[in-house]
Amino acid sequence: MVQARRGGIGRYYDVNGWLFVAPALGLIAIFMVYPILWSLWMSFQAGRGMTMQFAGFANIVRLWNDPIFIKALTNTMTYFVVQVPIMILLALILASLLNNPRLVGRGLFRTAIFLPCVTSLVAYSVLFKGMFAPDGIVNSTLQAIGVIATPIPWLTHPFWAKTLVIIAITWRWTGYNMIFYLAALQNIDKSIYEVARIDGVPAWARFTHITIPLLKPVILFTTVISTIGTLQLFDEVYNLTEGKGGPSNATLTLSLYIYNLTFRFMPSFGYAATVSYVIVVLVALLAFLQFFLARERDR
Amino acid sequence: MDKLVRTHLPRIAGLAIAGASLLAVSAAQAKEITIWCWDPNFNVAIMKEAGARYTKMHPDVTFNVVDFAKADVEQKLQTGLASGTADALPDIVLIEDYGAQKYLQSFPGAFAPLSGTVDYSGFAPYKVEVMTLDGQVYGMPFDSGVTGLYYRKDYLEQAGFNPEDMQDITWDRFIEIGQEVEAKTGKKMMGLDPNDAGLVRIMMQSAGQWYFDKEGKPNITGNAALKAALETIGKIMSANIYKPANGWSDWVGTFTSGDVASVVTGVWITGTVKAQPDQAGKWGVAPIPALSIEGATHASNLGGSSWYVLESSEEKAEAIDFLNEIYGKDIDFYQTILQDRGAVGSLLAARGGAAYEEADAFFGGEKVWQNFSDWLAKVPSVNYGIFTNEADLAVTAQLPALTQGTPVDEVLQAIDAEIAGQIQ
Repeated sequence: MVQARRGGIGRYYDVNGWLFVAPALGLIAIFMVYPILWSLWMSFQAGRGMTMQFAGFANIVRLWNDPIFIKALTNTMTYFVVQVPIMILLALILASLLNNPRLVGRGLFRTAIFLPCVTSLVAYSVLFKGMFAPDGIVNSTLQAIGVIATPIPWLTHPFWAKTLVIIAITWRWTGYNMIFYLAALQNIDKSIYEVARIDGVPAWARFTHITIPLLKPVILFTTVISTIGTLQLFDEVYNLTEGKGGPSNATLTLSLYIYNLTFRFMPSFGYAATVSYVIVVLVALLAFLQFFLARERDR
Repeated sequence: MDKLVRTHLPRIAGLAIAGASLLAVSAAQAKEITIWCWDPNFNVAIMKEAGARYTKMHPDVTFNVVDFAKADVEQKLQTGLASGTADALPDIVLIEDYGAQKYLQSFPGAFAPLSGTVDYSGFAPYKVEVMTLDGQVYGMPFDSGVTGLYYRKDYLEQAGFNPEDMQDITWDRFIEIGQEVEAKTGKKMMGLDPNDAGLVRIMMQSAGQWYFDKEGKPNITGNAALKAALETIGKIMSANIYKPANGWSDWVGTFTSGDVASVVTGVWITGTVKAQPDQAGKWGVAPIPALSIEGATHASNLGGSSWYVLESSEEKAEAIDFLNEIYGKDIDFYQTILQDRGAVGSLLAARGGAAYEEADAFFGGEKVWQNFSDWLAKVPSVNYGIFTNEADLAVTAQLPALTQGTPVDEVLQAIDAEIAGQIQ
């Protein structure tokens, strides 16, 4: 009877247990809970720099009337809608190709594709800026093989600048997602593929009907992680556009806008906090949507 | 040898500790002033020179000049001030004039007023104006961003122009010359970074206007100078006399590489221009072109910054005394930094010094400093307000629309709308 109580609700009254977790809880409270609550409180304040006052929902009203916020939100969602599907599909295809045990040098390929996401961010941004300069290697190659007649203005035209950011983040993060898929593929029983092959199922059908359904939990995981990453996109845009999100705010993201509001413009910490919470809400909504779409329907 | 070290190690260690503690004691008595600024060839070098001069007179005061990128100085300062803990902040910090009022107004009490100590009547009035808030003056006026038109004499000569042709021209004439230069030499007239509104600011201020009026209210749709500036940029772009640049270093590269025939910017670029010894004698300096509107002048300003003392600084008294002794009074110091770094200070008395009279061999023996100091006195005074960064971004956001042929009035309205959303 006593044993059962200690195993059940009784353990919540065990002082020793609480003492053990107290340091961790204390640190979490100071460094996570407190800042989160404080930023929530800040998002209801408005003012310049340190002269802030309670302003109710003024910041939320400001969101609606702020063309730059709308622009940053649209850009961020464009990156998300275009880039995440491309990257996930690319990572899946690469993973199943590199999972082939008969492929020669697949360790080398795996490393090469994973390498970008451990590369120094600044180094790769500088490299990209050089490669995509008007007279850089990309333009000169495209011109040499006759794809384009005049150099593409990668960094000075709104459309191409956005494209360049998408190329850059795809290059950087595809390998990261691929590693998850490779790990998951190792856990799929090889006999399933053998049976399919004996039954004459073609390679593409094996990919869509066996690999993708069995990888569903991992795909869900990588999609949610990529969603969070893309909505917080900052580094690439900051480094490629010298922190300006140009040209014409065409590459400005929500995170870069928060940075501008806090460090570049007249500091409005309250409004910046409000924009941060927009990202929080978006991430929560999108993650929920993805879980909803990926739920087990046949139950 | 090994044995020797091993037996003596305790004694060596003991000596080292004794030495270290001795150093620590003397360090506690000496005052160290920490300074944050950007640009190793200009601000940092000049501050080190100033520090060396002061240390000579006051050996107990030493200086630690920390070199960051400008954006990093601003970000670190803003973060430090916002956090409310002064430990991480320096004693003196360099702030660009455009941002001065922003810091003074949004962080009240963060900077030490120098009104009682410094005699501000000796400085260029527009510099003092940007650092005044509620009757108190903060900061020590430093360099001026008086502008000039730097041009390649050799390229222009090839195109059939002599230095007289570059004096007191209009922007329309500048564009004509640019087309001529490209036709004859194949060189573009100037480098232009479409993400930088610096040229717009130069043109606008040369006609006595700014993004904001004297009260600090946005002045966009009815701003004739801004309109003329945007029209001029549009003409430059459609005449295609510019080499596009992406970012600052790319822009600097357009003229250090010899790809363009001219540069219109602040005097602080002189050091960078002169850093190419093989181009010695090939450069000349003229007043900037004027807009074709009423009130247009050939004098303007780009950038320029000043030193501010943090109120929280433990060495506040020494820092203020240092700035006042060197930057406020030392005429000889200003001669040195002019000759060494091309720094045109805003202390008016320094302009009487010998260095300003001297001819510069790099510019073919022209008395460029005398010219810059004449133009400095003619720079129209404007109110930079507190939202210049926001306005700048709004302008650069609309530059592509301008090149696509959108009417200037529509562009002005779009800029106005964007600024209105940012001013809260």
